[in-house]
Amino acid sequence: MSKTFDRYASIAFLLIGLLFVIESSKIASSAYGSTVGPKIFPLGLGIILILLSIRLLYETFKYKTEAASTEKLQYKKFLIILVSAALYAFLLEKIGYVISTFLFLLVAFQTMERGRIVPSLIIAAVFSFGVYYFFAEFLGGSLPGFPRF
Amino acid sequence: MSTLQFLADGFATAFQWHNLLFAFIGVVIGTAVGVLPGIGPMSGVALLIPVTATITSGMPTSAAAASSIILLAGVYYGAMYGGSTTSILLNTPGESSSVVTTLDGYQMARQGRAGAALAIAAIGSFCAGIVSLIGLVLLAEPLSNVAIKFGPAEYFSLMLLGLAAVSGLAGKSMTKALMMTVFGLMLGTIGIDAVSGIARFTYDQPILFSGLEFLTIAVGLFALGEVFKTVLERDNESGAIAKINRILPTKQDMKDSTVPIVRGSLLGFFIGVLPGAGATLASFFSYMTEKKFSKRPETFGKGNIAGVAGPESANNAASGGAMIPLLTLGIPGSGTTAILMGALIMYNIQPGPLLFDEHPEVAWGLIASMFIGNLMLLILNMPLVRVFAKVIQTPKKYLLPIIVAISFFGVYAVQYTTFDLYLLLGCGVLGYVLTKNDFPVAPLVLALVLGPMIENNMRRALTISNGDFSIFVTKPLSLVFIIAAAAWLLIPLLLKFKGKALIVEEEG
Repeated sequence: MSKTFDRYASIAFLLIGLLFVIESSKIASSAYGSTVGPKIFPLGLGIILILLSIRLLYETFKYKTEAASTEKLQYKKFLIILVSAALYAFLLEKIGYVISTFLFLLVAFQTMERGRIVPSLIIAAVFSFGVYYFFAEFLGGSLPGFPRF
Repeated sequence: MSTLQFLADGFATAFQWHNLLFAFIGVVIGTAVGVLPGIGPMSGVALLIPVTATITSGMPTSAAAASSIILLAGVYYGAMYGGSTTSILLNTPGESSSVVTTLDGYQMARQGRAGAALAIAAIGSFCAGIVSLIGLVLLAEPLSNVAIKFGPAEYFSLMLLGLAAVSGLAGKSMTKALMMTVFGLMLGTIGIDAVSGIARFTYDQPILFSGLEFLTIAVGLFALGEVFKTVLERDNESGAIAKINRILPTKQDMKDSTVPIVRGSLLGFFIGVLPGAGATLASFFSYMTEKKFSKRPETFGKGNIAGVAGPESANNAASGGAMIPLLTLGIPGSGTTAILMGALIMYNIQPGPLLFDEHPEVAWGLIASMFIGNLMLLILNMPLVRVFAKVIQTPKKYLLPIIVAISFFGVYAVQYTTFDLYLLLGCGVLGYVLTKNDFPVAPLVLALVLGPMIENNMRRALTISNGDFSIFVTKPLSLVFIIAAAAWLLIPLLLKFKGKALIVEEEG
């Protein structure tokens, strides 16, 4: 449990709650034929979230100071995989499922552990082609397979 | 028609060859999901929804829903079988519900009794599955008859109870759990309001009109969150796998574990029926009960077979018991059942009291298929346990990227938008960060599924009462549910106040 994180999180959720309260009060007040309009539920939720966030903020001041965790996180690997996954999402419709999946898997395999390029190539190829043909051809699903030239 | 007649019809549905195949695929994948540490029943079920949706696309809605729910439920209870395998062989639980199995299971494996432990776990799971199914058959009809009399006020309060129960038991801090619940409810309000047709929080983005898809959020929070955690924290490489010598348990083993299996099954079933409490809690309780009832409590933790038999039966019985509130009341009591419910809703089939009247083949077909699925699991697990043990050795470097790719495929195949892929990634990061800091994500998913239903019932009730909120406390049943919900939140607080240790229900 990290005190700083909890403090920031409580402030973030407080703001989200506030946003909901403000934004839901802008929603048209009542629907025809109903006394309770579409805004009452999100408005109530926003207020509850604000109260809970304040409660959490208050709790963070009572925490005992905890020993800082010393585990080293592998940010580099994580960031490479996250960015390549975002690129994968961006390229999926542009260059098609098979190529984008193949590239993503290859990059991710090599990021996890360098070397042994041949098995990586084979697994990435089998997965991307396999899923595409099984899903799109055999099951008749629809996927953007290849780029249209 | 009598219950037996319905059950027979259910078996007729379950014995159709494609449903047999679906149940088989479900339990095999479920076992694999249970064995693999990076992926839990919740993400396993969520990942398979799009695949089943495509396979069943040619069938009539009702039959398609029956087939896919048969497969998805198979994954759910199959995972309970598989989870024990890693606990016993590797001392690393595949699921949170088999954490206690490591205590005695791994010790048994070190003494060369791995086969017996695995076999007892499978037999116990089988018996528990049958016990919970009998309970399901007996309770389904009466419960749905009661539930059918519920009005919107009762439904609102009952769902509130479900949310309160899950928030009260999830995670170390109740404040955080409640925050996640409210946040999930808020996310559920995005999109076009079903009652008035007014767009809320969409900011003129057409993609938001239909709301955030729960499947995307569930897969992101659970599957990707877990992947990111493993990438960042590099789990300790698993040690050597214990050898499996003989599989069949000895007569003494059977004798020692009969009573724990029966006790674990009953206990697990009732814990499973309760909203909020699930397989993890059931297995913990069962372990403590066995230790208390045992003549030699000092042997627990040193390879006592009762410490494997009880908890393993309990977690399986709980997963069967959890089906009851889902099918009869239409209210999921846990994250995984919330996802199953989301799958049913995708087929336009509303779980709840009317399910047994409107779509008996879905409800009874599922129940009957669970009998068959459990039998398949028993047969599969005894001789094939060595094969499944091999699955553990799948290298992480291949497994993790492939889980990411499957999530992408699953979400894209259902949603056909790149927006959902970004949302998926965002939820993955959020899932990791939140879970790491003890913000439980299961209540969020549950709230997201229940949110629109809660809101609609609340507004219908308030419309009936002309905007008077006292309708929720003047209706007797509704009042009972609200009091129970309040108790569920207050009692743990009181216990904590007195300095008692609490067990939390974790789902993965």
